[in-house]
Amino acid sequence: MNLSTSNATALIRARGLTKTFGARTAVDAINFDVRDGEFFGFLGPNGAGKTTTMRMIAGVSPRTAGTLEIFGSDPDTNGPHIRGQLGVVHQQETLDQELTVRENLLIFGRFFGIERKEIAERADQLLELFQLSDRAKDQVEPLSGGMKRRLSIARSLINAPRVLMLDEPTTGLDPQARHLLWDALQRLKRSGTTIVLTTHYMDEAEQLCDRLVVMDQAKIVAEGSPRQLIEEHASREVLELRFPEGTSRISKEALEGIGDRYERLAERVIIGCENGEAAHARALEHGLAPESWLVRRSSLEDVFLRLTGRSLDE
Amino acid sequence: MSAAQIAPRRSRGLFSTIGAYLPHPTRWRHVFGYMVAVYRREWIGSVFSGFIEPLVVLAGLGIGLGVLVGDRAAEITGGVSYVTYIAPALMASQAMQFGAGEAAWPILGRIMWVRIYHAMVATPLKPTDIIVGAILFMGGKVAFAAAFFAGVLLVAGIATSPLGALAMVGVSTLTGLAFAAPVTAFSVTQKTDQGFAIIFRLIITPLTFFSGTYFPIESLPSWAQLFSWCTPLAHGVALARGLALGTEIPNAATHVAVLAAWTIGGTVIASILFRRRMLK
Repeated sequence: MNLSTSNATALIRARGLTKTFGARTAVDAINFDVRDGEFFGFLGPNGAGKTTTMRMIAGVSPRTAGTLEIFGSDPDTNGPHIRGQLGVVHQQETLDQELTVRENLLIFGRFFGIERKEIAERADQLLELFQLSDRAKDQVEPLSGGMKRRLSIARSLINAPRVLMLDEPTTGLDPQARHLLWDALQRLKRSGTTIVLTTHYMDEAEQLCDRLVVMDQAKIVAEGSPRQLIEEHASREVLELRFPEGTSRISKEALEGIGDRYERLAERVIIGCENGEAAHARALEHGLAPESWLVRRSSLEDVFLRLTGRSLDE
Repeated sequence: MSAAQIAPRRSRGLFSTIGAYLPHPTRWRHVFGYMVAVYRREWIGSVFSGFIEPLVVLAGLGIGLGVLVGDRAAEITGGVSYVTYIAPALMASQAMQFGAGEAAWPILGRIMWVRIYHAMVATPLKPTDIIVGAILFMGGKVAFAAAFFAGVLLVAGIATSPLGALAMVGVSTLTGLAFAAPVTAFSVTQKTDQGFAIIFRLIITPLTFFSGTYFPIESLPSWAQLFSWCTPLAHGVALARGLALGTEIPNAATHVAVLAAWTIGGTVIASILFRRRMLK
């Protein structure tokens, strides 16, 4: 694992960061750096320890062991100061339904001790940026899921944070709302905001992250840019063979030699290879009769599969 | 990295621990301001309905029970009419109901359903700032409602001294806080609202009858009197009645001290429990 030692521009720096709840270890001695201006991701299935890590960074979950520095100081002792420079978007909605869209921003800005006039100006800019200006005076409740999520992100930016933290920002959104949100996040990144995100969506991590760590069962199992991770841990192409009746009766011998490696899932066999078409031809020679098949480029999903032997949605 | 290399987390020093629980000198007012914004639309209505009920009770009991009590009223009340006797006590007891109610569902809702407190602890606000701001807002709401009640008493001629009425508002506010703070401490530990039924049915409502609201506390058996004096309402009633009737209030300082102790003790415990719930 490539740990850049004493990186002067690391905004967040964790070494041996650990969190236990009773006998359960939620985060197990992880190391990572988040650098100034980058889009950094924690990718992993539910329960991998991503949210707990985010909570520790945000200073709302005291760590059990290890060191954690945010902007050079310890959230244990300097919590309010650090939180003043963070923007946090929770996985579950935390908007006040009894306030209007704009009021949600105005009130939240006050929690940071910002002057009313400054908050009002910023609120209007943010509503504009997130395409909510025409809903400014509306109650929150009738807004769509995508709008609520955009409002949550707008609210988290009211203090002009140095780092924006997003916990599963597109979970539950329809594809169009996801793409709108991705665009907004890309714009934000270009304007210089450092963004930390957790996700269990491969395409999201691939689309957005400059660098990411893959988490599984409380540990970091890989680190790098999406391209690096794919090059390092997956083959160029992937052949997927689908067997609706199950894959358990297919013999090991039949699967070996089709590609560089294979993973057997419940109803699919995933074969990593240089050339998917050629691998398919070999699969037929081996006597395999999949109901359907497809060839695609390797993705982070395959990296995850390779590293953990499980697919993300299992 | 092997386990031996992982730095154990330093434990906080005593001062740092206490510091974590002390409210910031000014940040609580942002929480107060937030509550004002939420209730701005509905709060006249809620205050109005909250105090219409005791006014109806006052009219019903004062006139109805007043007739029944008849000439004996003077023995109990020391010479004033029964309405005049129970009015300040009803004001204190309504402050209790109001304070406790504000500390129940609105607090639990912001933890469990609206979840805004989860967003608030991720700002520079400390959990203690949130609790202090929320409880002070409850006090403000009780004061507002009590002022309305006192106004009605003045207009109806039941209260005669504006200064006394103002003092009654103060006492009612303190009584409301003395319930709001400990009920908040209870609310922050709850996962559903089922516990509130117990609090209200078994503690809050019965207390009205054991605190000298409708009849002097001295007519209770001595164990019940002792119990009543341990709870805040009896002290609030004694103060409010004394102020309304302009009579001397024995142990006034003690009454105020007990109300203050419940308020401060409840706030401290609520802060500790809320912090424990939100930061884990």
